[in-house]
Amino acid sequence: MIFQLDLSVADLFLLLPEIFLTLWLCLLLSLDFSLKRMTHQQLAYLSIAGLAVTGLILLGFDQAGTTGALFKNMFVLDRMGIFFKLIIVGATALILFMSIDYVRDFRFFRGEYYVMVVMSALGMLFMASSNDLLSVFVTLEFSTFGFYVLVAYLRDDQRSSEAGLKFFILGVFAAGLLAYGISLVYGETGTLIFSEMTGTPGSYGLAIGYILIFAALGFKIGAVPFHAWIPDTYQGAPTPVTAFLSIAPKAAALAILIRMFYVSLASFKPMWVLLFVVASIFSMTYGNIVAIAQKNIKRLLAYSGIAQIGNIMIGLAAGTKQGSDAIMFFLLTYLFANLGAFAVIIAVSRVMKSDEIEDYNGLNRRSPFLAASMLLFLLSLAGVPPLAGFIGKIYLFIAAMREELYTLLIFGLINIVISMYYYLIVVKKMYINEPTDSSPILASMPIKVAVYVGIAGTVLLGVYPGPFIDWAVSASLMFSNIAGPTAAASLLPGG
Amino acid sequence: MGEYSLLIILFAPFLGAIALMFVPREEAFLVRMTAAISAGISLLASFYIFLAYDTAKGGFQFVQRYVWSEELGIAFYLGVDGIGGPLVFASAILLFAGIFVSWHIKDRTKEFYMFLLILAAATIGVFMSLDLFFLYFFYEMSVLPMYLLLGVWGSHTKGYLSMTNPEERKLRDSIGFIFNFGSNSKEYAAMKLTLFLSAGAVVALMGILLIYHLSGLHTFDIVVLREQAHFSDNVATLIWFLIFFGFASIAPIWPLHSWSPVGHAAAPAATSMLHAGVLMKLGHFSIIRVAFEILPDSTREWMWVAAVLCIFSIIYGGLVSYFAKDTKYVIGYSSSSHMGYIFLGMAALNYISLSGAVIYMFAHALATSMLFAMAGWVYDQTHTRDIPSLGGLVERMPFIAGAFIVACMASIGMPGTINFIAEVMIIVGSWDKYPFQVGVAVLGIVLTLAYMFKMMRGLFYGKLDPEYAHALDARQWVDRMPLLLLIVCSISLFIYPWHFYEVVRSTVEPMVDRINHVAPLITQNTKGLLP
Repeated sequence: MIFQLDLSVADLFLLLPEIFLTLWLCLLLSLDFSLKRMTHQQLAYLSIAGLAVTGLILLGFDQAGTTGALFKNMFVLDRMGIFFKLIIVGATALILFMSIDYVRDFRFFRGEYYVMVVMSALGMLFMASSNDLLSVFVTLEFSTFGFYVLVAYLRDDQRSSEAGLKFFILGVFAAGLLAYGISLVYGETGTLIFSEMTGTPGSYGLAIGYILIFAALGFKIGAVPFHAWIPDTYQGAPTPVTAFLSIAPKAAALAILIRMFYVSLASFKPMWVLLFVVASIFSMTYGNIVAIAQKNIKRLLAYSGIAQIGNIMIGLAAGTKQGSDAIMFFLLTYLFANLGAFAVIIAVSRVMKSDEIEDYNGLNRRSPFLAASMLLFLLSLAGVPPLAGFIGKIYLFIAAMREELYTLLIFGLINIVISMYYYLIVVKKMYINEPTDSSPILASMPIKVAVYVGIAGTVLLGVYPGPFIDWAVSASLMFSNIAGPTAAASLLPGG
Repeated sequence: MGEYSLLIILFAPFLGAIALMFVPREEAFLVRMTAAISAGISLLASFYIFLAYDTAKGGFQFVQRYVWSEELGIAFYLGVDGIGGPLVFASAILLFAGIFVSWHIKDRTKEFYMFLLILAAATIGVFMSLDLFFLYFFYEMSVLPMYLLLGVWGSHTKGYLSMTNPEERKLRDSIGFIFNFGSNSKEYAAMKLTLFLSAGAVVALMGILLIYHLSGLHTFDIVVLREQAHFSDNVATLIWFLIFFGFASIAPIWPLHSWSPVGHAAAPAATSMLHAGVLMKLGHFSIIRVAFEILPDSTREWMWVAAVLCIFSIIYGGLVSYFAKDTKYVIGYSSSSHMGYIFLGMAALNYISLSGAVIYMFAHALATSMLFAMAGWVYDQTHTRDIPSLGGLVERMPFIAGAFIVACMASIGMPGTINFIAEVMIIVGSWDKYPFQVGVAVLGIVLTLAYMFKMMRGLFYGKLDPEYAHALDARQWVDRMPLLLLIVCSISLFIYPWHFYEVVRSTVEPMVDRINHVAPLITQNTKGLLP
């Protein structure tokens, strides 16, 4: 395969958000080195400004309907890609707001922190656009590279180092699986581009190759049985990085999963539906049940995140356009609720100096604002109306119901009740228990910004989701003729 | 103005809750007044729809419809019929009364009123939803505020408080999740209630999603579904059972009742009032709205299940009430026993019994909320709910004792209160179809008489314990007003029940005709409303 890069400037226009962010990244790095007087807050706000411009460019693309493919279809910019990129950019900007307080406590490398965060975001922007297996591999590694550093950022903290090591070893292992899977798929199909793989006859090599790729992406999103790194890494990593990990890489990996399974594997749908049904049931049930026993709030959210990925995979299991719409809408709701919850955690643990659930005793008396917002975020995660998470879950259930996946639905519904329990335990600590120390907890301005954005998103998506649902629906129009359950080709020869 | 009444009733409490966020917490009087005003607006508007409901026309009135999501087939679709209208009115009365009953709450007043307003507004929302999605939306929304209201402002039982050893308490809280009566903490009661109701709700949600998909219509619109949805027999039966047991868990029918007395006992007075008064009727109402409207054939075929289970509800609840020593347990179990009457009225499926059941929902809401309000008053004054340790309180609180007698009479169903009419209608209406159950119901009335008198005697007569010699009567207008409001409603509807009866009849008759195949559904004019 020979690539001829016959690019015109007009083609590069499609890369404008990424190119802009790359240049901005260089600017940030050089400013940090050259201007000694520049504080880390200023650097943070500069990064946020860069992300805001990127977001505006993406919004402009979305409005103008700019779409296209570059580099022989390796990079594709479509409305679905833009949707995921906006989620990633939005999440990163909120993370930076949440980081400002946290970074103040670092003794070294304050400036580099922001650079690393923006760099990971850049990698994920590419991920959301990757349209062939080679670019999947490169962009995935690009974005993960930043995270390896960020997770272990608290150099002198044993837990952080442990988390970094675990994340690194398992991440590299997943990368190996991905490369092996890609080589198998390439051997069977002779191509790496998703859209050219449709119609390849099934074979064992192809099946194993795709299962390996699924394992590698499953590691990224933290689906059972590839979840083992999640709790320790979430607990050990600096809290803003945990928040970042909990949403942005998942969104990017889901973009790839949707593209890969909906496009290149469309004809094998009955087989991968089973795969997702099983993975979804195990993720939901395992995540929710183990979350009950947690004593640490970050671990609790780690397991709740595993369960939420199980919910998201309900949409993949549906395997329809409505399924992918539901996933995209659910990711929006999850973005606000989850990041909001982490913002509250950062505010509380700055005062308490730990992340135990016990620390939340009597939070309502110490800070009614933080307690009420945490209440909203947790209830949204639990799926209680009128908050965003409820609509997201119902949307996924409707998608599954229309494909008649009854077993999956029953597990999904039971899991709502299970998850209610551990979210309410935290609510109980905040509202019912009395605080041991009743000094007020104050949140700084940047944290408040993140919390307010979270509240606004959680409530708005809950009571007025129409426009957002329509956005998700129109963003994935290319899947409107995805094969229904009748497309019964087998991935295995003679199967 | 008139056509927007439902929006006013629904959103006044919500806006009140939002306004409360901006009221400084030190201004307790302002907080209370904000809550009272928003509840008052809701009460006036609901009184208006109760009076203005056109009984000649019947069907859904005051309809409001806004498309919410085209993609999912959801519309924000409000309207009341002769069943929803009175229940909306009852909810508004109880909310208004409840705000005054909890006038003296000191701890986190602002949050208390916010959650109370959200709870009542969500309940009202269920009674006026004509879209299955929003019915579930409001239903689930009403469960969560209960958790906080019970957990934060509730009270432990005597059995729990007498356990001083923390190890013993831990053991008591963790074991016997279902059979843990008499000695539990408010946190336990709150969690049990929330999980039970959520579990019931997701069962019903499965039924709703099946209706949505298997009807082939892909809409949640009840008006469309009841006219166009057809299911094969087995599917209809399955959906009917999911809907029935899903919603009956909040009703609560025996054997799904165990969360309810525990929850009543732990709850603060205003919450118990709303809970026993209207929240439990969400179950009956949702069964009528979903199962009776959309699945009439399965309803005719399977409603005997309710008639069988109501026997256990009535007898079991009545017996436990008789032997219970805690005022709130007595009232709580009496409520769950009285819910059996409503199921009996619903199961007989004829004009008189079903109308009786609907009127009984309203009547019971007034009677039981009076009892809970006064049990709450007695608890506030004496800090105990233990009947044997109380007594002779009539010397200290003559007004409360008098009102309590009226409430007991209402609960028993003495002539003079609307409960009498409702009970007679249920008993007369069900006689042809379920004579045995009617016998049980009459026995239940005798039991009610026994435990109500026993509780009344235990609380107010006999010798006054000097420990409670400082207990105060309700003297201020804020304390007397809610009780008087409830008593006046109950008595005046007994004296002039005709309008109420016509309202209920206008909806019940076509519904029963349709279920019994006497006549097809009288289609109301829905032009311009349907998509």
